[in-house]
Amino acid sequence: MPRWRSILLVARREVLERGRSRGFILSMLFTTAIIVGSFLVPTLLFEDDGDLDIGVLRPAPAGLEVALTAFAAPFGTPLEITTFDDRAAAEAALEADEVEAVVAVPADLSGAGTLIVKEEAGDAVRAIVGAAVVGLRQAALLEQAGVDPADYAAVSTPPAVDALDPQTETDRSQFLFANIGVVLIFVGIFSFGFTVLTGVVEEKQSRVVEVVLSTVRPRDLLMGKVLGIGILGLVQLAMFVVAGVGSALITDRFELPPTAPSAIPLIALWFMLGYTLYSTALGFLGALATRIEEASNASTPVTTVAIVSYLIGLFAVTDDPTGIVARVATFVPPSAPMVVPLRAALGAIEPWEVVVSIAITLVAIYGLFVVGGRVYSGAVLQTAGRMKLRDAWRSAGE
Amino acid sequence: MLEIDDLTKRYGPVVALDGASFIAQPGRIVGFLGPNGAGKTTTMRCVFGLVRPERGEVRWRGSVVDREARLRFGYMPEQRGLYPRMRVREQLSYFAQQHGLSGRDADAAATRWLERMGLGDRWKSKLEELSHGNQQRVQLTAALAHDPELLVLDEPFSGLDPLGTTTMTAVLRERAAAGVAVLFSSHQLDLVEDVCEDVVIIARGRIVAAGEIDALKRASGRRHLDVEVAGSGGTWLDGRDHLTVLDRSGDRIRLLVDATVDLDELLAAARRGGEVRRFSFEPPKLSELFMEAVADPTTSPFETEAA
Repeated sequence: MPRWRSILLVARREVLERGRSRGFILSMLFTTAIIVGSFLVPTLLFEDDGDLDIGVLRPAPAGLEVALTAFAAPFGTPLEITTFDDRAAAEAALEADEVEAVVAVPADLSGAGTLIVKEEAGDAVRAIVGAAVVGLRQAALLEQAGVDPADYAAVSTPPAVDALDPQTETDRSQFLFANIGVVLIFVGIFSFGFTVLTGVVEEKQSRVVEVVLSTVRPRDLLMGKVLGIGILGLVQLAMFVVAGVGSALITDRFELPPTAPSAIPLIALWFMLGYTLYSTALGFLGALATRIEEASNASTPVTTVAIVSYLIGLFAVTDDPTGIVARVATFVPPSAPMVVPLRAALGAIEPWEVVVSIAITLVAIYGLFVVGGRVYSGAVLQTAGRMKLRDAWRSAGE
Repeated sequence: MLEIDDLTKRYGPVVALDGASFIAQPGRIVGFLGPNGAGKTTTMRCVFGLVRPERGEVRWRGSVVDREARLRFGYMPEQRGLYPRMRVREQLSYFAQQHGLSGRDADAAATRWLERMGLGDRWKSKLEELSHGNQQRVQLTAALAHDPELLVLDEPFSGLDPLGTTTMTAVLRERAAAGVAVLFSSHQLDLVEDVCEDVVIIARGRIVAAGEIDALKRASGRRHLDVEVAGSGGTWLDGRDHLTVLDRSGDRIRLLVDATVDLDELLAAARRGGEVRRFSFEPPKLSELFMEAVADPTTSPFETEAA
């Protein structure tokens, strides 16, 4: 019987046994529901369209609504103005959260009036209303003094913004998208890597491993396990991406950056590479333990490396995606799975860097399988207490 | 034929196997005996490549055992264990497929063997839902379902109730009759004497006796002499201090003697003591052979047979 069949049988068993388990299905549905919900719920439940709702109590000065609209423009949020004929109606609307604030200014601009709010006034509302009322009153005063309203309007124009490196909506969505991708990879590596870890310990704990290894080579068992659980991981990742991208497109709450079509396959690829790298390490370290509690101790070095890599990606790379830290981390196997897709999603990586990084990571995975396979076979039949890495290595060589 | 040839294995300062050699023939059941820690499990693990010996090799049909050969072996380890949450038939089918059977053949074999073991209606159950006895049956079936040519069972009778023992015995006999070479370890010597034609006795990593049980008994230099002389109280034996008394109760005395002992002279002495009601001269029982063999290898009368 060829070895690949043996590996595939192991992988198939993992996919069928775990994929059909209630825990896996429920957790996947639950997470998918959260992803879809985070897009849909705000849109459906709260009819919060993001507009600024301000009420105006009549009688109001002429031009107040025009001034409010003009001063609201720089905030980028559309302004919706409701008028009220008496204070009771205005207060009712405030209580019902229909408006955020109500402006009550004497129609003759004889006083500054009041800004009525439910609990407190937001900065934006205060700034907009304040500027509008002050502006109107100053204009009225200057007009009395003989100043041409057109001249006043002319000097009321704020300075134009001239950004050296203007940030667009695309930049923001690209940044957000890149970060979501890295979080997905990190969480995927962790959850499925630990599935491999516990799977190895469970096989050892239930002693079934001795029966399995009477026909399956240790390295093949580890490979099949990593492959099978990896397929489940990829299925889950695909489901999350489809749910997220689908909801984003439907609800129109999030604009996909132009880098998305190339970044999504890269996220999938780097999830697989990162998962394979980390789960192999977790798998053979798990073989050193005899109980699940010990396994989490044995896995501490791997966990630490993963978290440090993630933090490098999160801070150093997003801060300066072409800086020296980002470039070095691109070619270091443990950090590459987090750093490369992040740089790619930010559009800040050369194609050759991606290719070289993939090659280095593949070599690292192969090396880990050779080393890990040996440690695994040396350790997996030892059931008396936790084993040392060196002993496992020696034991397999004897 | 399975040939264990000169296996040697050390775990640090502990010598697990020290040049162990023996054979197991197709169609015969070999009982593999030895005190705890003598090297039985290590030997069996060597057969399945789970332990790599420092010296020596395992051959099947004349060639060194490799993975392809092992696909035709069935193994039941001492430490029982299967996948607790996997359904019984899928589990058996999985192991049969890992032994090279196609999916369809493996399913059919799993179904057939479950019927055979009286578990036909439990095929959909998870292993952990079965009783302890039934889990043992499934474990045995996992070693059998791919129709192996060699069966290696580490302590298959331990933890079995009398019903389970009967089933196990029947299965082993039936497999041997079908031409399978069966090797199993056990501490239940009476059971081994009942089930096996051949035994291999291992002590401190060395084979101290191997061969047909009857031949070993005949080859033993010792005999048991059971004598009952009515009303003598055993006094007829007085003065014969060179004889080893194994047991003495009233008129009955059990002696350990050399095979070359002068029986006529002893019988005459017994007759002088009174009416002889019993005078039986027998080879040792397997349990006695075992105790002698493992007691001290340097003086064992069987050591010459080991190689």
